[in-house]
Amino acid sequence: MRWPRGVRARLAGALVLLVAVTAVALGVTTTVFVEARLRQQALADAAAQATFDLTVTVPGRQLPDEPTIDDVIRSGLTDTFRRRNVESVIDLGAGETVKSSDDLSDLLERLPADVPARVGRGELAYAWLDVAGRPSLVVGGLVPGGDLAVYFVRDVAEIDAAVGQLRAVLLGGTVVLVVVALLLARSLARGILLPIEEAGRTAERIERGDLLARVPVTSHDEFGTWADRFNRMTDTLAESIRRLEAAQHQNRRFVADVSHELRTPLTALVAEASILRERLDDMPVETRRTAELLVDDVGRLRDLVEELMELSRFDADAEEVALEQVDLVKLIETVRTSRSPNAVFRAPPKPVMIEADPRRLERILGNFLDNAREHAGDKGVEIELDASRGDQIIVAVSDRGPGVPEDRLDMIFDRFTKVDPSRSGGSSGLGLAIAAEHAALLGGYLQAMNRDGGGLRLELVLPTAVARSLRPGDARAT
Amino acid sequence: VDARILLVEDDPSIREVTAIGLRNAGFTVEAAADGRTGLDRFNAATPPVDLVLLDVMLPRMDGLEVAREIRRTSTVPIVMLTARADTIDVVVGLEAGADDYVRKPFEVPELVARVRAALRRGAGARRDQAASDASAETPLRLGPLAIDLAGRSVTRDDSTDQIALTRTEFDLLVDLARHPGQVIGRDTLLDRIWGYDYLGDSRLVDVAIGRLRAKVEADPGAPELILTVRGAGYKAAR
Repeated sequence: MRWPRGVRARLAGALVLLVAVTAVALGVTTTVFVEARLRQQALADAAAQATFDLTVTVPGRQLPDEPTIDDVIRSGLTDTFRRRNVESVIDLGAGETVKSSDDLSDLLERLPADVPARVGRGELAYAWLDVAGRPSLVVGGLVPGGDLAVYFVRDVAEIDAAVGQLRAVLLGGTVVLVVVALLLARSLARGILLPIEEAGRTAERIERGDLLARVPVTSHDEFGTWADRFNRMTDTLAESIRRLEAAQHQNRRFVADVSHELRTPLTALVAEASILRERLDDMPVETRRTAELLVDDVGRLRDLVEELMELSRFDADAEEVALEQVDLVKLIETVRTSRSPNAVFRAPPKPVMIEADPRRLERILGNFLDNAREHAGDKGVEIELDASRGDQIIVAVSDRGPGVPEDRLDMIFDRFTKVDPSRSGGSSGLGLAIAAEHAALLGGYLQAMNRDGGGLRLELVLPTAVARSLRPGDARAT
Repeated sequence: VDARILLVEDDPSIREVTAIGLRNAGFTVEAAADGRTGLDRFNAATPPVDLVLLDVMLPRMDGLEVAREIRRTSTVPIVMLTARADTIDVVVGLEAGADDYVRKPFEVPELVARVRAALRRGAGARRDQAASDASAETPLRLGPLAIDLAGRSVTRDDSTDQIALTRTEFDLLVDLARHPGQVIGRDTLLDRIWGYDYLGDSRLVDVAIGRLRAKVEADPGAPELILTVRGAGYKAAR
């Protein structure tokens, strides 16, 4: 589940980035704007007050035309201003000043040069300065008709405080927005990914063969449309598979029925031919050869019908496995003696025990030997039993026949496969297919290879733990 | 020879050719086309038939039913003709009381051989009679069972009633009882009792042992006289 996490991360990243950039831009703009407005307001208030003080408050004290420092101090102007929280410096000219506080000692020197100059010309001038460590607004002006200049110093820390508060609020808001964006991204991603994950699980069920699984269609968005199309595709596939299975079932049923119906006349034929064979020597020459052929062909027909019936039983899953302890050495020797006495079997000295169905083992080995005899004659056929590997036992039948072209090796276990299509007669081509079905029922498999120096080697590979790996009736999956 | 055989088979061709084959081999054959008629012929036959050849799928009364009915009154050898060798058919047929089976399609010499082997059981016991006459003072015993070879009868010590065994079951019991404690393989038993040289069906032995136990063991579920040796065969208790 790698890419859904990717989608989640990408979605969250995009949303957070968008929210953060927007919030910061808005915050900075707001802060700058609000700070400018606050300063403007403070300046307007200070200028109005200064104008009032210069034209009304100061003249109201009726100072002499040439006031001395003492005159100014006695007038109490600085105290009056101070009561309004305004510090002040009164400049009498010639370096004489009256200050409301000692903190203001170097104020005039620290003012930008143009401020005293403009004050000297009778204008109001201002500057933003730190006074005694506090941000302040200094507004200076000339008392009309006199030489007195007054500089009012107002503490504007509250502007900075207000701006600072605003910044904090905006920052907090930004953080909240980012968190909200993250949560939103998660729920969005879940909304998108949940149906996709559901669809993935459905696809997995279908893959495992549950053709009834469908993607739930819960929305009318693009995903809903997709899910609907997916479901319709699955419907079509399931229908095709069902029809194919029905056709195959019918086919197999037909083969089973046909071979079953053939059995009764075949039984009569086989019995009749067997009597005929006993009496071949008594027959006149002109009919004897025909009777011989008849007897042989009845035998071939019998083999074919029986093999077809055997295969159709596999196809119907009607086979049951009867497991018992089997000594492979003894079993191989018995089959060899009865089916192919000229084959060579170098038996290991000790019994090789395995849990298996002996009749199926006999059938597989018998079919191997029949195949060898048919393709390579009776000479040079060898049977090997290899129990040296821990988890597998291999029974091999090798012949010295022509072998099989490499590209057709894996086809020889298919039904009706004859390596040499031009050859007529002989076996039905079902023997090895039947052997493969028996091997699968026992939890094993067959393999074929060409021998060095010519000839075919057929191997039955059986798991030693066959009893554990095998549940009867469930072995056809292999 | 001149044994009388009752053949019950519904297909006319198979019935006729089988009858021809058996007659060629020297048997006297009576044929029936359905199960009901077959059973009636069996019950009416005088002298009684020596062997019954029975198809499984029969109209009116199927072969298994016929076999069960015959077994209620008789220990005559019954050989079934079965369509399939590797299905439940065989076991059900044997459990219904058949002694042996021949798989369809069959060749007549093969059928004749099976019939002869089935008829020989009993004949073998007649040979034994001569042997046991020489040592008649030691009758064969297995636990509480007294086996009378000459009379082909078995009695339990706690009862005077004879236990009705088929010839196959009797021969099987005798063979095991002769070698108490000795394991006898299924193949060996198939060879000795049924006359299979090789590749017989070991289910014949297993089912016959089961039927025998049901008759002679006190508790057939926990046998004490005829013991199974896993992977090897059977043995009689010592």
